[in-house]
Amino acid sequence: MKRKHRYVRFFLLILVSLPLTGCWSSKEIEDLGLIVGTSLDLETGDVSSEEQQDARYANRDLLTITNQLITSETTVSGTKEGSLPEKAYKNVSETSDAVLPTLRNMLLKIDKRSFAEHSKVIIIGEELASTINLKQSLDFFLRELEIRPSGLLLIAQNRASQALETNEPTKIPAFQLVEMMEGHERTTKILPPMTIAKLEGKLYSNSSFLLQNVTAEDGEVKFAGAAVIDGKTKKLRGFLNEGDLEGNAWITGDGKGGLVKGFDEQSGSPIVYEIISMKSKIVPHVDGDQISFTVKIQSEGRIAEHWVLLDKASDNRFLKKAEKVFEKEIERLVKNTLEKTQHEFQTDVSGFGTKLRIHYPKVWQKIKKDWDQTFSEVPITCEVDVTIKDYGTSGD
Amino acid sequence: MWEKVISYVPHWQVFMQGFLAFLIPFLIFKLFNGFLLVKKNNGKIDIKEQANQSEKVHKPIQKTLEQFTGNYNVDLAQMRKEIGHNWDVHFREFHIGNTGNRAAIVFLKGLCDKELIDKHILTSLMNCHTENPTIIKGYELQQLIKNEVLPVSDLREESNVMKSVGRVLTGATVLIVDGITSVFIIGTAHGKTRNLEEPISEALVRGPRVGFTEKLSVNTSLLRQHGENQHLSIIQMEVGERSKKELVIAYIDEIVEPNLVQEVKKRIEKINLDDVAESGYIEQLIEDNYLSPFTQVQSTERPDRVIAALMEGRVAIILDGTPFALIVPVTFNMLLQSPEDYYERWLPSSLIRLLRYLAAGITLFGPSLYIAFVSFHQGLIPTKLALSMMGTRQGVPFPALIEALIMEVAIEILREAGLRLPKPIGLTMGIVGGLVIGEAAVQAGIVSPIMVIVVALTAISSFAIPQYNAGITLRMLRFIAMFSAALFGLYGIILFFLFLCSHLVKLKSFGVPYVSPTVPYRAGDWKDFMVRMPLKMMKHRPRLLKPKDTIRKGD
Amino acid sequence: MNSSSKDKITTSQAVVIIINYILATGILTLPRASVEKVKTPDVWISVFLGGIVAMIAGVIIVKLSQQFPDKTFYQYNQEIIGKWLGWLISACVIVYFFTISAFEVRIMAEVTSLFLLEGTPTWAIILPFLWVGLYLISGGINSIARLFEIIFPITFVIFLLVAFLSLGIFEIDNLRPVLGLGVMPMLKGIKTATLAFLGPEIMLLLVAFMYPSDKSKAVKVVLVGITIPLLFYVITVVMVIGALSIEGVMTRTWPTIELMRSFEIPGLIFERFESFLLVIWIMQIFATFTITYYAAVLGLAQLFKKSIHPFLYGLLPIIYIIAMTPKNVNDLFKFGDKIGHAALILFGVIPVALLLISKLKGDKT
Repeated sequence: MKRKHRYVRFFLLILVSLPLTGCWSSKEIEDLGLIVGTSLDLETGDVSSEEQQDARYANRDLLTITNQLITSETTVSGTKEGSLPEKAYKNVSETSDAVLPTLRNMLLKIDKRSFAEHSKVIIIGEELASTINLKQSLDFFLRELEIRPSGLLLIAQNRASQALETNEPTKIPAFQLVEMMEGHERTTKILPPMTIAKLEGKLYSNSSFLLQNVTAEDGEVKFAGAAVIDGKTKKLRGFLNEGDLEGNAWITGDGKGGLVKGFDEQSGSPIVYEIISMKSKIVPHVDGDQISFTVKIQSEGRIAEHWVLLDKASDNRFLKKAEKVFEKEIERLVKNTLEKTQHEFQTDVSGFGTKLRIHYPKVWQKIKKDWDQTFSEVPITCEVDVTIKDYGTSGD
Repeated sequence: MWEKVISYVPHWQVFMQGFLAFLIPFLIFKLFNGFLLVKKNNGKIDIKEQANQSEKVHKPIQKTLEQFTGNYNVDLAQMRKEIGHNWDVHFREFHIGNTGNRAAIVFLKGLCDKELIDKHILTSLMNCHTENPTIIKGYELQQLIKNEVLPVSDLREESNVMKSVGRVLTGATVLIVDGITSVFIIGTAHGKTRNLEEPISEALVRGPRVGFTEKLSVNTSLLRQHGENQHLSIIQMEVGERSKKELVIAYIDEIVEPNLVQEVKKRIEKINLDDVAESGYIEQLIEDNYLSPFTQVQSTERPDRVIAALMEGRVAIILDGTPFALIVPVTFNMLLQSPEDYYERWLPSSLIRLLRYLAAGITLFGPSLYIAFVSFHQGLIPTKLALSMMGTRQGVPFPALIEALIMEVAIEILREAGLRLPKPIGLTMGIVGGLVIGEAAVQAGIVSPIMVIVVALTAISSFAIPQYNAGITLRMLRFIAMFSAALFGLYGIILFFLFLCSHLVKLKSFGVPYVSPTVPYRAGDWKDFMVRMPLKMMKHRPRLLKPKDTIRKGD
Repeated sequence: MNSSSKDKITTSQAVVIIINYILATGILTLPRASVEKVKTPDVWISVFLGGIVAMIAGVIIVKLSQQFPDKTFYQYNQEIIGKWLGWLISACVIVYFFTISAFEVRIMAEVTSLFLLEGTPTWAIILPFLWVGLYLISGGINSIARLFEIIFPITFVIFLLVAFLSLGIFEIDNLRPVLGLGVMPMLKGIKTATLAFLGPEIMLLLVAFMYPSDKSKAVKVVLVGITIPLLFYVITVVMVIGALSIEGVMTRTWPTIELMRSFEIPGLIFERFESFLLVIWIMQIFATFTITYYAAVLGLAQLFKKSIHPFLYGLLPIIYIIAMTPKNVNDLFKFGDKIGHAALILFGVIPVALLLISKLKGDKT
């Protein structure tokens, strides 16, 4: 008899545990709306009446957040019988005064549970970046677990939400941006990707940095230079154009490939140099209170195209000449960039401070507070050494 | 201060949960202890009953423990009384040559070699002519028949009626001769056996194409035929209370650890069963832990596998009437090994072995990982994959667990059905079931295509495991893994894995830890574990079996 | 369960037990805890020195245990300092062991509910974990050692794999300069780093379980057993700081997981790797939990000279309640620090004292 009771108890236990399965944290994948991109804008236009009525909002800046969602309905394979969905994504916008309340307001609009683990980009509008401290506006994204630190951060030159639109309905703009970012392997005009993980260190170390800038016009998205974020205020300071970015890449030595266009002195015809490798070394010098830097740039590459009719690439003299041309060109790029960052924006975005910290940690402790200020007056010299290794299949 | 302490006192629910934390394992412990106690009690009762039984059995034996009298009529009547009512028992009476002595042979139709009886026994006996036929009686006659008349190798004398009856029933021919107080027992047993065939359940591409048969003597001869080995001991035992069956224990006495043989003998002697129908009975009765889902005794049809195991210092148990020999002790890695691993070169066989481990992993965790990722951790899968999963699951009405259960159960039913059907139909079943149902289920939107892939992959993986019963074990555990994944996602799978490992490390097979040689670390034994090193490097026998002679080959 | 008389472990098992005991919460929190103290990229040196401090403590513990090769700490300390004082110390050690196991369980629950099972109640996460641990421990030290030997290679391979995958976002500049601000900041981190190496104290019990012929190797066991986690920790710290920079690490609660989440490698099937880290980490926590739980249960059994079983079940609710006591994550970390300080006294100071006393006593007789 007693034994029977034992069995009964055992089965009860199993019975009790069965309905628990699939409870708690489980959420089916098809019920999710994957957030793949988010844009943040400062709301300038008229605000919905409900928000205005609330007196507390009176003097506050309002945020407009646009989430790019992909749901099971918008994926191509989700729609049966070959009927393509109109758009591969769905953008949802909402306005409020902090990030999470805004996101929660979106619940009122969408039937899917939004899920941000697959968020790829966060785009911040120019106006927002220049009025609100990034530490504040991005706090939610740094704190929230669902946002992966591998996501990218971009600045949009006008309204950020436009960068999440595209003319081609089957493409997903957020993914396009990420894939475009990979282009930095082949050109120095795109910054190496700035992920949220990297951003964190920058935000807390009070150093200035660059963010990739994106412009969107009529559904066409384009990378255009970079935004300079001031380390102290954490606000947008200004923009560098693509040329400046090239110079910056030469200073930091971060580029993985790209071109340099020079002109032959005699004929004025263009010669194009393709970078195989670039290395740069920023050497700080401290002499008493006097700080100065030398940027030593070394590069190897090949002649990818040259329009000079008189010279042959197989001629070493020509190569020497070309090397000189490129060295000058690179130096010009670097000088241009430094001119802008040092004097126009007065921010160190190229990592000079880091080198000083590494080589003269004691000095750095003293001056790190006003480093950007100090940096704007520091003399910087530049040494460029270009080696042309080959000239492709044509010796001409 | 006091308030601060009080603020840290947890909620009463926590205490309740704490109590629960104690109660549930305690109950389960009691439950299983209950099982064990019941079993132990049974065991005790069994011993008593056995004692009773043996008395009962012994009494009638003593009653009929009669000797042959030497009086032909009486002896024959005695034999007839014991087995004469059987249809298949034949009595053939005749005279021995010119002596005129009456004689009879008793044999079993079908079990005896009729040609031997006709050509050699009857002919010799009937045609024997002696010089003074009349004087030869009694002892002389006996000597005459034994030494001159019968040209048979297997000839014995027996004076006990019951024992000779027993011999008749196993196929011997009994010769009763007037005036002799014992009978001749002639080994004419010629049971029907099938030919040596390739074992179906353990087919190999390369390796001997011979498997055990149902006949014990054939099986032992297969072991002997492997090569001359004077140390191969084949010890006979008997099992079964009512229908006795022969069983042999084979081992190589120079290698095997003596305690192991003792342990095997002890456990087999303990078996107290009416009839042992198949070696599966023995397997279940001698295993260490009957609550474990893992097989603790390896069964095989392949003589080469048995020999290899013996050479490692294991013990084989072969039962008459079944082609399945048992090998003990078993370790987990043996379930994923095939004799072919040693016949092929080491690189391919190492890779194949690794592949089997992978297959075992997929079998166990495939569907549960799918459930965990689809219903819990969508953030841990690649974005593109998440998108396509999301798309394919659109419109599927069930949560991932139910979806997986439907398909897994369906495929298990298909497998079972295909097993029972004749081969051509089984094949059709496979196609109909696998392709049509899978495709139709996807079309109907009941399951997602990715689920079908996962299920198919699991099913195929489970058949890549060379041991059929190991495959079943893993398939069974897969369902538990699925439930724990549905409950706790990846965490549930980790817990299940830890639980499984905890169980495995506690399990022993005949004193050898089941998870050896994984642990404890013995670098020497690892040469034949996940990979198979070149034969030149495998100089030692596995140390986990504590063999007497550790060196496999010297140089 | 006559666990003390029958069960024996090999040298390699002893090493693996120490490794698995040490590797626990530290993998996830050590980078932040130590960076908070040091504030320069020299953290890895602190970790290194912390390991060496732990080694010294470990060697002292072993030397003490080798004086009484067949007895556990609970049995021999009464011989050295008398019945009552020994009893008291044993009780403290037991409390320490089950408190630390409760702490590990709670940390595990916190991380799991954060990264894997958002929304599942804590009790539902903890209870099955406790039960699986209980099931393992009922098999005695041998089962524990074997399980550890299974999970150690898994941990080792996966850890190195994910560590090297994260090389993609590693920046050497984040780790420079070395000792730029002198040795002082680095020294500040040593204590925190040492606390991550809690674990050699298990040798107080393990020496009794080792094969008699292996007991002389116990010192080697401790040294190897600490060196491997030391490597793990140094790699962790270097990788995390290299990728996230000092400033980035300080603000993250679980920097190592953050590191794993900071990169995606699309070409590899998995693309995201924090699940791997969490898998091995949960296994490591399980290991630490079971060995400390076992140590506590064994202590109780030997202290009261009773069978191990009632304590096995009886301790479960206590561990659960202790685990649930800290109110939030900050409390939990503070709790962890307190355990660490207790360990410093219990296993840093007392063994030295005991060793001295027993040597003096030995000289007299």
